[in-house]
Amino acid sequence: MKKPKKRSEFIYFPGLGELALSGLRPLIGIFLGLLAGAVLIALSGANPLDAYSAMLQGALGSPQSVANVLVRASPLLIAGAGVAIGIKAGLWNIGAEGYMYAGAIGAGAVGIALLPVPPIVHVLLAILASVVAGTIWGLIPAYLRAYRGVNEVVTTIMMNYVAIYFVSWMVHEPQSLAEPGSFFPMSKIIAPTAKLPFLMRGSSLHPGFLVGIVACILLFLILRFTHFGFRTRMLGVNPDGSRYAGINVKRQMLLVLFVGAAMGGLAGAFEILGLKQRVFMDFVAGVGYEAVAVALLAGGNPLGVIASALFFSALKAGGATMSIQTGVGAPMTIVIEALCVLFVIAIGYGERKRLERAAKTEEEGEEVNNNDG
Amino acid sequence: MAQDNELALRMEGITKRFPGVLANDNINLDCRKGEVLGLLGENGAGKTTLMNVHYGLYQPDSGKIFINEEEVKIESPAKAIDLGIGMVHQHFKLVDALTALENVILGIPPEHPPVLDLAPARERLLKLCEGYELYVDPSVEVWRMPVGKQQWLEILKALYRDARLLVLDEPSSVLTPAEGEQLFKAVRRLSEEGRSIIFISHKLGEVLEITDRITVIRDGHVVGTVPTEEATQRELARMMVGRPVVMERKPRPALPEKQPVLVMEDVSANDDRGLPALKDFSLIINAGEIVGVAGVDGNGQRELAECIVGLREVTGGSIRIQDHIVDRVIDDPSFVGFIPEDRQKTGLFLDLTVAENLVIKDFTRPPYSKRGVLQYDAIRKHARNMIREYDIRTPSGEVLVSNLSGGNQQKVVVARELNAEPVLDIASQATRGLDLGAVESVHDTLLEERNRGAAVLFISTELQEVMSLSDRIIVLFRGEIMGEVEGEGADVSTIGQMMLGQVSEVTG
Repeated sequence: MKKPKKRSEFIYFPGLGELALSGLRPLIGIFLGLLAGAVLIALSGANPLDAYSAMLQGALGSPQSVANVLVRASPLLIAGAGVAIGIKAGLWNIGAEGYMYAGAIGAGAVGIALLPVPPIVHVLLAILASVVAGTIWGLIPAYLRAYRGVNEVVTTIMMNYVAIYFVSWMVHEPQSLAEPGSFFPMSKIIAPTAKLPFLMRGSSLHPGFLVGIVACILLFLILRFTHFGFRTRMLGVNPDGSRYAGINVKRQMLLVLFVGAAMGGLAGAFEILGLKQRVFMDFVAGVGYEAVAVALLAGGNPLGVIASALFFSALKAGGATMSIQTGVGAPMTIVIEALCVLFVIAIGYGERKRLERAAKTEEEGEEVNNNDG
Repeated sequence: MAQDNELALRMEGITKRFPGVLANDNINLDCRKGEVLGLLGENGAGKTTLMNVHYGLYQPDSGKIFINEEEVKIESPAKAIDLGIGMVHQHFKLVDALTALENVILGIPPEHPPVLDLAPARERLLKLCEGYELYVDPSVEVWRMPVGKQQWLEILKALYRDARLLVLDEPSSVLTPAEGEQLFKAVRRLSEEGRSIIFISHKLGEVLEITDRITVIRDGHVVGTVPTEEATQRELARMMVGRPVVMERKPRPALPEKQPVLVMEDVSANDDRGLPALKDFSLIINAGEIVGVAGVDGNGQRELAECIVGLREVTGGSIRIQDHIVDRVIDDPSFVGFIPEDRQKTGLFLDLTVAENLVIKDFTRPPYSKRGVLQYDAIRKHARNMIREYDIRTPSGEVLVSNLSGGNQQKVVVARELNAEPVLDIASQATRGLDLGAVESVHDTLLEERNRGAAVLFISTELQEVMSLSDRIIVLFRGEIMGEVEGEGADVSTIGQMMLGQVSEVTG
C-alpha cells in the first residue's frame, strides 16, 4: 500500500527546512502580535500608528535609548539562549529566574569581597562563581528530570521561589553579605575591581549584550556542528530514537539542563556586575520568565533569540515614551509581548495538528493492517 | 446455554476502507440472543475494525447493521451504549487517576446534578461484582489495580450500562490462567441471562471452549461460520492462516560451514509492564543464514530484538555476538544492524533531514566528524551515495525524513543499518505498512545480506514472508520457542498451530 506522507505546506519551503520553520514563525508571530496590539490600542482610544511611532522613537530615537534597549536585552539574550537550548532538546528549563538569582548571589559574594587581584581577574572570578551557583541551582531539577522522570516545569518554577527568598534572606541582616543599616534589605556594594566597564558615556551600557549575542551565536554553532549539539537536537526530535541510536539520554538531559542553568547564572552576574552593583530581592523581577517568552518567540532557535530579545527590550523601552505621548499605558507592551508569543505558539500548534492528522490517517491504515487482534 | 433463534445483531455487507487498505470487505455476521460468538482471525484480519464499526467508533463505507432485527445507524459510542452495546477494548479505556467506581459512573449523567450518585452506584456495582463473581474494590484507583482487575472493571462498566450485547476484544491476553477461568464463568453466566457476547480472539483453545459458534475472518473477509461443536482445531487453523497461495521461496546458495554469530542462552526478560516476556530463550544464528521468527504479535518479539541490541535489560541468561557479550546498547552498525519495528517512533528522526538520519549512529566517527566538529560535506556526500545505492526517492538529502513515503523512510533505515556490512542483522517487522515494491526491496536486501555471510534474524508477524525468506523458522509463543522447522518445505498449518500455542507432534 502506498502512503506518501506529506508534511504540511504551511510556512515550509523545501531546502530551507528547519531554518524557514524556526525563522519565519517568530516573524509572523511578531507581525500578528503587533497587529492585534494595534487593535487594542485603537480600542483604548489612541491612534495605533502614533503609539507605535512613539514607541519606536522611545526605543531607537537616540544613542542613549538604544543603549537602554541593549542593557535591557542583556539578561534576555543570555538567559534566553539557555532556555532555547532546552527547547531544542524538548526540555522546558524555565527556571531562568531562579538561576539568575543564584548567579547573582554567587557573583555578588565574590564581587563584594575585596580581593588583591587585577580587575579583569576579579570580574572573571565573579562570573565563574555565578555560573557555578546557577548550575548548582539547576542540579535538583536536572537530576529529578533526567533520572527520576519528574516534570522539569514544576520543579524549575518551584526552585524559582526558593531562589528568590533565599537571596532575600542572604541580604538581610545579620547575614554577612547584607549592607548594615540599609533602609531596604540589600547586599553590600560590589568592589570597584569587580565592576564591569561602561561602554558609553551617559548610559549604563555594559558588555552584557555583547556576551549575550556571542553566546547565542556560539550556541547556534554548537547545536549545528558539535556532537553535543547533534545529540541535543536528536533528543528533542525523538527521545526513544536517541536511546536506540546509543545516546545516553539521561546524561544528555542533565547536560542540557545544566547549560540552561549556567546561562541563567551568567545572566544574573551581568545584571549585578554591570548594572545593579548590589544584590537585592526583586533585582530582576520577572526577567527570567521574560527570557522564557523570548526563547519561545524564537522557537528555540538561538539566533532567533537575538532578534526576539532585542524586540522585547525595544517594546519595553519604548513603552514609557508611548505612554507619555499617547496616554496608552505602558503595560500594553506586556500585552503585545504576550500576544506575539501566543501567536507563535498558535502557529506551531496549527502546524503540529496538521502533521498529526497526516500521521493519523497513516497510522489508522497501519493499525488495521498489523495491530488488529 | 440459553439461546433462541432471535438475532441480537446482524451485520450485512460491512465494508470499511482505510487509505490503501481494505480492512473489512463485505462482511456478513450475526449473533443470536444469549449466544457466545467467537470472532477468530490473525492479527490484521480486520476483527477489531469490524467491532469498532459496530461500536460507532468508525463509520462503515457501506453495509447495514441491525440490532434486534431493526436497522440502526451507530454514529457514536454513545449511540452504541444506548442500543445496549458494550465493548471491552483490548487496550483498556479507563481513567487511571480515578477510582473503580468513578470510572464506572463516568459519562452517566447524575440524577441530581451536580451531586454524583456515588452511594447508590456503589451498591449497584457491588451487586454486579457479586453476581458475576468479578470482584473489584470500588474505592481503589485504577492505577493501583492489577491488569486482571482492570479487565473485570471494564466488563462491569459495560454491565452497569446494562449491555445486552457485549464485545470482548482479546479479553484473556492479560489474564492469568486462573483469571481466565473466572472470565469464562462470567461469560457463561451472561449468556444464561440472555445477553449476547462477541468474543474476539486468536487463541483457538479458548474460542473452542467458550463459544457457541465461530466466525473466522481473514484479510477482511469472512472465511466461514461454524458451530463450535462441529469445529476442529486443525480446520480452524487452516481457515485462519491457510492462504490459497503457493509459497514462493527465494533461490539461494547453500549455507556455508556453520559459524555461530549470535548465541543466546536461557535469556529471560520482562516487558515494559514488568511481566515476563521472554522465558529461558535459547537461540543460535550462524553466519549466512536467515532465521525467521514467526508468531502472533506481542509474544515477545519486540523484547527479543531489544535484548539482542542491548536496549532491554535481560533478567537472566546471556547473549553473545561473535564472543562479544552484550551488556549495553550496541550503536555500531558495522557490528549489528537493527531495523526496529516502529520506524517512525524509534528508527527515524522525522524532523531531521535524510542526511542527518543516515548518520545518527555514526556522527561521532570520521569522516562525519573531525576533531569534534561535524563535517556536513561528508555527511551530505554519504547521503548522496546512499540515496543512489538504496534508491531512496527524495529530492535531496536535505529534505526532512517526514516528507518521505513509508517505503522510502524504511530505505533510509535499511541503508543506515546494513550499509556498513554488520555481522548480525536484526529486522523487526521490517515490511510493516510498506507497499509491495518496498516489501520486495527489503526482502532482496536481507537475502543479499545473508549471501554476503551475515547472520540475519527476521522477525515478522506475516507468516508468508517468514516462510519465503527464512532458512530456519522458530515460532514464538508467550516468550518461548514453540517449535522450530526448516524453512524449506515448511507446512503452513503446522506453523499456524504452533503460533496459537500448540506443540506439534510433527516437525519439519
